[in-house]
Amino acid sequence: MKISVRIVITCVILTLPLVGMIARKQWTLETGTAVLLETQPVDPRSLFRGDYVRLNYIVSDLDLEKLAGDLEFTRYDDVYVVLTEAERYWEARAVYQRRPQLAENQVALKGKVKYVQTSRWNPETKKSEPVKSIHVTYGIENYFVPEGEGRGLERPPAGSKVEMLMAVDRFGQAGIKAVLVNGEERYRETLF
Amino acid sequence: MNKNRFLKQLKKELPGWMEQGWVRPGADQAILEQVGQRAESASFLSVAFAILGVLLLGSGVITFFAANWGVMPKIVKLGLLLGGLWLAFAVAGYLLRDDRAPHLGQAAVLLGVILFGANIMLIAQIYHIDSHYPNGVLLWSLGGLAVAWLLRSQPALIAAIALAVLWTGMESFGFQRQMHGWFLPLWLAFLPLIYRMRWKPALHVAMIGLLLWSFFCFESLRSPLFVVQVYFLAYLALFLLGLIMDSYERWSYFAVPVQRYSLVAALVSFYALTFPHLQFGYLFLHGTNIRPGVATAWLAATSILLVLVAVLVLWHRQRFRGQKNPLWLLWGQALVAAGIVLITVNLFIGVRYANLMAIGFNLLMFAGVVWLILAGSHLGDRFFVNTAFFFFALTVMSRYFDTFWSLMNRSFFFMAGGVLLIGGGIFLERKRRKLTRQITSRRGEGGGL
Repeated sequence: MKISVRIVITCVILTLPLVGMIARKQWTLETGTAVLLETQPVDPRSLFRGDYVRLNYIVSDLDLEKLAGDLEFTRYDDVYVVLTEAERYWEARAVYQRRPQLAENQVALKGKVKYVQTSRWNPETKKSEPVKSIHVTYGIENYFVPEGEGRGLERPPAGSKVEMLMAVDRFGQAGIKAVLVNGEERYRETLF
Repeated sequence: MNKNRFLKQLKKELPGWMEQGWVRPGADQAILEQVGQRAESASFLSVAFAILGVLLLGSGVITFFAANWGVMPKIVKLGLLLGGLWLAFAVAGYLLRDDRAPHLGQAAVLLGVILFGANIMLIAQIYHIDSHYPNGVLLWSLGGLAVAWLLRSQPALIAAIALAVLWTGMESFGFQRQMHGWFLPLWLAFLPLIYRMRWKPALHVAMIGLLLWSFFCFESLRSPLFVVQVYFLAYLALFLLGLIMDSYERWSYFAVPVQRYSLVAALVSFYALTFPHLQFGYLFLHGTNIRPGVATAWLAATSILLVLVAVLVLWHRQRFRGQKNPLWLLWGQALVAAGIVLITVNLFIGVRYANLMAIGFNLLMFAGVVWLILAGSHLGDRFFVNTAFFFFALTVMSRYFDTFWSLMNRSFFFMAGGVLLIGGGIFLERKRRKLTRQITSRRGEGGGL
């Protein structure tokens, strides 16, 4: 085979997965159900990394005893979190190990168990109390913004509210569609 | 004439010369290898400079765009990323065509592979793709492998192997895989190209990668005794395979690296088995003192490997059938048989006999090391002899520390240890030098070993 042909094949083979990455994400954004999620401040010990924001959601920490579905999870398990639209935000209603059947106004967000918590320190009673909760990551915890604009999103000033508009496709994959600060759109994702 | 052109010309001419009877059949391969090696060694500096230049250029380009990243629209960023990737391969194609500048061409291929990785990371950043991050490194490695196949590029293959090791390290340490077995099929996928192109540097990197993977798995597992036994058997099997490879003309080119890496790994594993702590079930990482029962998976793995080792010994015997079996071969077969018995027994006995097992493994270790000296001297391999002396000294010192640390007064312990080190060191070094000198002189005479 001629070298020029081999070079063309190489470029095609290497470009296809890159385009595939973009296409898959864009498919989620185009076809997915729009879901508004509330963020909460990140762990104060986490470091802000340049123009890169770490996001934590209310639905990242799930108290299994208060939710329907399965109770037994271990680290790195896949989970499906059933979300239902509430007053403004979408809220977790159930957690399953396998994708469940959904009602009309529900979506199942696919995630991975980052850790399982079995006890929590109660500062009032000064005792450790048993709990059954999991921390889940959904692949929507990082958001890249222009240099210097990250800190305000990661730790918003008092009174400010950061919300994330997601798209959740039928496989449970999520993508960030827009970032809202105090209800106003700050960033919007486009193909180009 | 350009050395690669000369090599190409030689490849064309040799069949004709063989027909004329000027070159005897089979000698063509040896001639091509020797000329090829000379071409490689002579151009080492130019390759090194080309690769350094590529790395500098790559980092400069990435830094420049990183500094201006925020102000660029997405379409421009994408254009730059994909354009850069295609440009690197276009330049590589131009340089590789008709051997214009093959080393620079290979450096451009490597730059293309580096840019492919940068593209994966930067596209993930642009589109906020935040998935299981080791998958990005796996994709990068697979891309490198595809490039190596298509463009016959050893630097791309070496990069792909290094990335595969990085991937398995991330999976093992970042996600606590019990045993990241998916590395093995990927590792095996590197071998056909290494064999086909006769790339020895890539083979070295692949063997080092395999050793590192073993180490990563060991770190993430919780029953070291049986893991170490499995490692020993697996690397012993690979060592035997290396000895067998040596007896086949088409495989012998790769035999020495396979033998050496697997020998060292097998000896390290066996050395670990000589520790009474391990036999008692002391888990180095987790501080438990109970010898665990063997899990079904490890029992199955050990059994399969025991059978494999036995089959390889028989295959090796078959390769030497008809020749007078020298002492080192018979002794080696007896040692393997003893090892099989010891490891099988060790699978089923309880903690009561742990000390006895440790003694057994120590005796076999010393016998094995002596055998290695004999084998090294017979095969004319100084590496075997040096390795044997190193492990002999290491095992003696370890047993000295194990045995006398609690029995002797500390000052006597250190004084005796010092004397043992100095005296033993001088003695062993004299013996080692004598043997390696004999090997060198026999080689020089061209005599049979």
